[in-house]
Formats: sequence, C-alpha cells, structure tokens
Amino acid sequence: MTLQLERAPGRAGGARRPRRAPLHGRLRPGYVAPAVLLVAALLYAPFLWTVYLSFTSYDGLAPPAFAGLRNFGELLEDPALLTSIRNTLIWVAGTMVLPVGLGLLVAVLSYDLPRGAWYRLPFMLPYALSGAGLAMVWSPILSHDGIANRLLGVDTAFLQEEPHNTLAMLLVWTWQQLGVNTLLFVVGLQSIPKEPIEAARLDGASGWSLFRHVIWPLMAPLTAVVVGLALVASLKTFDIVWVMTQGGPGRNSETLAVTMYRETFVASQYGYGSAVAVLLTVVAGLASYLYLRGQVRTA
Amino acid sequence: MIRRAVLLVLGLVWLGPTYLLVVNAFRPANSYDASRAWAPSGDIAIFQNFALAIERADLGGSLASTLLYSVVSPALAVLIGALAGYTIVVLRLRGGFWWFMLIFGGTIFPTQMLLVPLFVTYSDAGLYDSRPGMILVYTAVSVPLAAFVLRNFFTGVAFSIFEAARMDGASTLRIFVRIYLPLAGSALAAVFILEFTFIWNDLLFGLALTQTSGVRPVMTQLAGLMTDVYAGTPVPVGLAAGLVVSLPTVALFLATQRLFARGLSLGSV
Amino acid sequence: MSRSLTAALTAAVLLAAACGGGGAEAPRQSKTELSLYNDKGAWSKYFEDMGALSKQRIGLSVKPVGHTDSAQYQALIKASFRAGVKPDLFTWQTGGMLEEIVKQKQVADTTAIWQEAIKNGDLSQDLASYYTFGGKQYCVPLNVAYWGMFYNKKIFDKYGLQPPTTWDELVKIADTLKQNNVKAFYHTSVLFSFVWFEQLLAGSDPDLYDRLSTGKAKYTDPGVVQVMERWKSLIDAGYFINPGDKTDPGDVLKNGKAAMVSFGTWFNTSMTQRSMQAGTDYGFFVIPNVNPSLPKTSVVFESGPLCSLVKAPDPEAGMKFLKWWTTTEAQEKWSASRGDVSANPKVTIADQAIGQITKDAGSGKYRLVNRYFEATPPPILTAALDGFGLFVTKPGEYRKVLEDIQKAADDYWSTHQ
Repeated sequence: MTLQLERAPGRAGGARRPRRAPLHGRLRPGYVAPAVLLVAALLYAPFLWTVYLSFTSYDGLAPPAFAGLRNFGELLEDPALLTSIRNTLIWVAGTMVLPVGLGLLVAVLSYDLPRGAWYRLPFMLPYALSGAGLAMVWSPILSHDGIANRLLGVDTAFLQEEPHNTLAMLLVWTWQQLGVNTLLFVVGLQSIPKEPIEAARLDGASGWSLFRHVIWPLMAPLTAVVVGLALVASLKTFDIVWVMTQGGPGRNSETLAVTMYRETFVASQYGYGSAVAVLLTVVAGLASYLYLRGQVRTA
Repeated sequence: MIRRAVLLVLGLVWLGPTYLLVVNAFRPANSYDASRAWAPSGDIAIFQNFALAIERADLGGSLASTLLYSVVSPALAVLIGALAGYTIVVLRLRGGFWWFMLIFGGTIFPTQMLLVPLFVTYSDAGLYDSRPGMILVYTAVSVPLAAFVLRNFFTGVAFSIFEAARMDGASTLRIFVRIYLPLAGSALAAVFILEFTFIWNDLLFGLALTQTSGVRPVMTQLAGLMTDVYAGTPVPVGLAAGLVVSLPTVALFLATQRLFARGLSLGSV
Repeated sequence: MSRSLTAALTAAVLLAAACGGGGAEAPRQSKTELSLYNDKGAWSKYFEDMGALSKQRIGLSVKPVGHTDSAQYQALIKASFRAGVKPDLFTWQTGGMLEEIVKQKQVADTTAIWQEAIKNGDLSQDLASYYTFGGKQYCVPLNVAYWGMFYNKKIFDKYGLQPPTTWDELVKIADTLKQNNVKAFYHTSVLFSFVWFEQLLAGSDPDLYDRLSTGKAKYTDPGVVQVMERWKSLIDAGYFINPGDKTDPGDVLKNGKAAMVSFGTWFNTSMTQRSMQAGTDYGFFVIPNVNPSLPKTSVVFESGPLCSLVKAPDPEAGMKFLKWWTTTEAQEKWSASRGDVSANPKVTIADQAIGQITKDAGSGKYRLVNRYFEATPPPILTAALDGFGLFVTKPGEYRKVLEDIQKAADDYWSTHQ
C-alpha cells in the first residue's frame, strides 16, 4: 500500500475533517484504558493522599489532625510565598524565551541542512548529564572568581543576589534542556510534507515569509507539545534550584515546588507543604487546560 | 552560510561547559583547582577516577536493571501512549479532549509528593524493591508525554489515510499497527530517547522504591558520591562517574541521529 | 483486542506482585543479612566492609541502602513506621529528631547495650546523655565528630603562623593573611551557614547556646545580637571568602582559596581523598573561646545514631548487630576506614591532632555543646539556615534575620513546651 502523507493544513485543517466515520465504538474506550489506568493508579491515587494532607496538620509521625482550610489560610499570609510565585513566573516566562525559543531557532536552522543532526549534537549532550553532575560542571563557571565573571569582566555574585541567581540558574537550565525542545521541534518540522512548501516556493515565498505563513502553521501540533510541556515543567521547577542554591540565600530563589518540598520534608510541616502542592497542581492544571483547549481549536 | 555560522557559534558556546566536564573528568583526582578548571592537565586519569567511584558504589547488578527499566518502560509507554493518542484523534473517541487531559494530568503532580504514598503502597502490595514494580512506575510516568506527542502528531496526519484503509477493510488496530505507528517513526523515537534518558538519570523513584543493589538503578548508587557533604569526593571522581554513566545515553543519541534527518519519515509508507 | 491489552496489563501487575522481592518478606523471621538504611550514600563501601567483618564475627552481614537527600530520607523512614517494609537498621539524627520518633514508641530500647558498654569502657557516660530519653537509651552512636579548624599548613608556614591559643591570636592570624591577600576563613550560604553562628555563640556564652536551643532564650536577646555583630565585623573586615562559592570546601583548603575551614573531624576524609598529609599539608586546631574568662573551651560535638525499630523484621538480630557495633574491634575498623574519630574511647586514632582532641574531650577538658543542626528543632532550624544564608550575603540585615528566626521559634515553642 503506497500512501501520500497529506497534512491537514494548519489552522483551517480541523474544520475540514469529515464527519465521524462509523467505527467500532465499543472498543474505543478500551484503547485508552491502559494509559488511563496506569496514570490513575500510580500518579492520581498517590496525589489524593497529598490533597487529604493539605486539610490536616501532620508531622509525618503522629496521626494527621483535621485542620480544615487553615493551611490555605496561612498560604495567603506567607510573605515567602510571594517570592516563590514571582520566581516561578520568571521561570515560566524565561523558559518560553530561552529553552523553547532557542530550541525552535536551532531546530529551524538545522532541520533541512545536510548532516543537520550533527549540528544539533552539542545541544543534546548536556541532556545526558544527570542533575548532580550539573552543579559540579557549573560551579567553577558561576563562582565568585569563576569563569563567567572573568569572561564578562564583572564581579557578580551569580548565585546569591536576586534576581541574578534565578536568571543564572535559568541559563544553566537552558544549557541542559535546549536539546529536548529542539528534538521535538525537529519532529514537528519533519512531519511537514514537502508539497505545500514547494508550492509556496513556486509562488515566490522564501525565508521569513515562507516560515511564518507556511511552515509555522504546519508545525503547530508539535509546537503545542513543546510549549505545553515547558509550561508544566517550568511551573514545577525544582531539581536545578535544589541542586544549585536550595532556594537561598534567605529563600530568595525559591520556586513554588521548592517551597513545597522545604515545608513538607525539611521542616516536617506536611499539611502546609501539601497545601502548596495542591496550589501548584491547580495552577499547573488550569494553565495547561487553558492553553491546550485553545490549541485544540486552532490545530 | 549564515545558518551554519549561527549554529556553529551557538554549538561552541554549548560545548564550553561540556568541555569543562570532559577535561576535569580526565584530571587526576587530587589535582583539581576550580580557578584553573579550563586548562587541560594532559593526564588521562578518567579510568582511575571511575574506578575510584565504582569502588565505593556497588554497580554490579545495577547496570543491567537500569538498562531494563530504561528500555522496557519507554517502549511500553510509547505503545500505550500512541494507542491512546490514536484512539483520541483518529478514532474520534467521544470526549477525547477530556480523556487526553486526564492522561496529561499525570504530568502536573509534583513528583516529590508522590514518593511517600507510593512507598507505602508499594511496600504493602509487595511491589517494593522489585523490578516489575520499577517498570510499572516508570511506565506510568512516561505515558503522558508519549500520549501528548503522539496525539498531536496524529492530528497532522490526513484523515483520508484512515478512510482509505477502512475502505480496504482493515481493522482499527491493524491500521494503528501497520500505518500510524510507522508514520510516527521520528516522533516515537524522540519520545523514546527523552524517556530513556529520564529513567536512566532518575534518582527519585529509585531511592524511594528499592533497596537491593541488583534492583536499584545506577544513579542511586552513584549520586551519593556527588552530593554527599560527608563524602568529600574529589570533583574529578564525581565528574568521571557522571561522564561514564551518561555514555549509554550519548550512544543512543548518536545511534538515532539518522532518524531525524530531513525527509526520512515522509513520502511513501 | 482492548480486552487482551487490559488483560496483559493486569497480568503484568500480578506478575509484579508475585515477584515482589524483599518487600514481601514476612516479619519476625530470623535474618542473616540486615538492611542498613542511611542518608550517607557515599559511605556504602564502608558499611559493606563492616558487614563483611560482622558476618565473620556474629554471622550477620549488612546491606547498605544509601540515600542522598536527608529530608526525603527522613520522610521515607518515618513512612516505613506505618508500612509493611521496615529497615533492619537505620541512621538518624540526635536531638529533637530522635526524641520525636522515640516518643512515637518506634525505636528499640538499647539500655542494656549501653549499660554493658559503659561498664566495659566501650562507650562513655557523657555520650549517653545524647541518647537518653525518659531514663532509657535508644540507638547507638554511628559516628561522633568534634568540630574545629582545619588549616592549610603551607600557607601558615609561609607567613610564619602558628595555630592560635586565644581568640585574639586567631583574629591576628586572619589579619596577617589579609595583608598578604589571602582569605582567612571559609563560609557558605548553603546548609552549613550555621557554623560560624554556632562557634561564636558557644565560644561567647555556652549557657546561652543551650538555653537558645531549648526555647528558654530568644534570638533577639542582647547576647545573641552581639554574636551577630561580631560575626558581621569579621565579614566586614574581609576575612571570609565569598559565601556563594560552590567550590568543594576540600578544594578550597587544598588550593589555598581560604587558609582555614571549620568542619567536623569527618572532614579528614576530604583531606585524605585529596592526597593531603596531616602535619605537612594541613593541620587541625581547637577554636579558642571568644570570651577568655570561660572556664573551659567550648567544642562543638556531633553524634549520629544507628537505630533499630521496635517492630523490626528481626529485632534480636538488630540488637545483636548494634551491640557488636559498639565493641572496640568493630570501632577500630570503622574509625580507621574513614580516618575519623570513634565513639569508643579505647580506639586509637592514627591522626595525631584528631586523636588528641578525642582524648582531651574524653578527659573532660572541653565544654561540649551539641551541634546546632541537631540541637535546634527542625522548623526553627529550617528558618535559621535560611536566615544565616541570607546574613552571610547581606550582613547588614542581621536584626531582620534574628527576628525572622525568632518568629519561627515563637511558633514552634508555643506548641512544644
């Protein structure tokens, strides 16, 4: 069987889909069952425990005592939470610009070059390095008498002053994560058929206008994946901050996930930490719902 | 030309810290100086460094287990996720968006909070410290990404392909296996690579859900050397350990480069 | 087809359940291998070596289960109290952390082991106080450490400096180094940010230090404020390296980035792993008191426990191992392998300076104060570590820092007196 892969062209595509074909309706929910069951049993179910704890006072040992909405009330009055929220927003915005934006740039520049994959390799390598190694590699760069200060000819305490510390960690994060986004963008670019691009070229489109009006709309589905994943991951930023600054000094580089971790496990305030976790989950869930709902209409 | 130049310059910037990693992993364990980290030492001490690392971490059974987890779980997850994506997009599952959100929702929970309840459940269900238990949890964590990527990938595939195949009398599952999976080759590979790397480097689940060295993943055995303040591990030893254990991932990157060459997934099927 | 997929998945789950290894073991069976959960992931090799010896001697080997993040480790151990899988042995923290789990009646009583060990001279009566709650002992010492100053001997020799015997001499050394463009002291904004606060307070007023850790004094009291002011004056004088420097302190000392680094005796491991020789490359001295009129020099002391649970899978085996652990034979090996001191006074320590402090401490020469990290209840400690981390980067804010810590202390002591 030989098939020409045709693409539903971008924005207009969804609307032109034919009506439902008569299928084996009975089977369909069965096909999603493995995915749903796994996720429900191993991710949703344990999280319910956190939701329950957020309404209690609990130190991890004595039985949890019901506390109603007190933890959530305390959330509103905690000045440290404001810093956390601000830093988390910096992470979200920064992630969209740097790892996502640069990832797109690298993908677009390299995807149809001969041996383009080799040009992308430098960006993939850091992704192979584990979190603990990350701090070891970057500390001689970011330390006070480190390479960054000498290269830039300045004297900045990169990991101490806010907001330098969050921005410095964002750069480290970009270094590590860029390759992931590039890879997904490349998949998106590759799945675009040649025909519309060649047709547009015949019409005289090239460079920016070709990208903007033909390629960009066609790669929308995978762009949505990259942005959707980056949105959730950046809201949950934890590992890199924990490895590099532990949220400090003086809590000034904490993100919501670090606050959650610190309260729950370091300070043994499980109830309050769980309330932060619930807040974080609601925000991440709502943000991804709003984004993906919009994305479904256009893609 | 400009494109190549931009890529080369950016690539060199990216290789800078990678260079630091390599140079210092090759340095003798007792001659590390952060303020001279750039300068290569001319020694090739990486093998001694790595030997020092594994001497203090029991890697024996870990490597095989870790390989098992990071191959089997992503493979299962990619299939399960692709099937879900296919059902939602191509078979037009009723309420498909909500089923999708349900699966995608698995990624929004802060993972650290899942560990204690998972530990309690696993230890009561007899899944604690078992390879199937690890495969199960890694598969579950990997499914949402696979479902998301494949769902979106399939929205770009023309519906006429499906219709044509139905006309030929193929069953929905056959169409999935014979047409949609091969079409999604590069997407499947990308997801597999990302999840392989995630699992290979995972610490959280490995620490919380295992105890025997043959079941524990490699990273859990090595991370102590790199993060423990009491360890006093010399930096080159930590870096050598980090470098050597990331080699399988790098090998996977290299082996799959060709899949991401322009045009391979296009044209005739 | 969907049914077969679901069936396959169910089968996988059942298979997994059937293969469940250590987790499914029934309790109360007699064991020959004990799991030793710990948050000292890098010590696995040392634990295994101990296990090899204990297997020979008492027929019990050891399987170390190392963790890397203390907070997460502690949460999992606490969770094991109500789960089917329990550790045979586990490491913990003395102070409030140990008291908390003892109160929950989870920790096995080791009074008999202590009584016999004290009689034999394997453990000291002084040490017992860190392990005593309600008149009974729990756990045995995994490790002990005394805190002091490690210094770069080559730098000291170059400028003709000798280890100080008074506080003024120490400051003078720092000043000499400063004139020669060498930073005297190491400090950090992450985790060990409490070290200088602890040292200065214990050396100025050890009673206030003790009262502070039990909620009987406030962080805003004049004595505490003075300590912060002294600390600030040392920072302002330019004696410290940058606190945000993430270089490993072992490398800081080795490369002379700072001439002195204050840590527990376990820091010796960092030195030996960097091929540094005690006596020629580096040395160790007890930090003199800030207040010269105090009768004894205050030395910060740290001890980590090795514990067993009341409901351990095999309580007898656990006790047998803990008892063996305290013996001279076991402690000789444990201390030698890591180059650190031992809780057992009969153990001879190869390293001269560190051997000396152990002997002196055993003879009552020093006023031992419990390390701040163990002495302070976790919620206050969390606030304090953050506060000191902020202080070392912005010393001007010391009043605000103390107020913030006191706020956490007020919260805590209002419900825990």
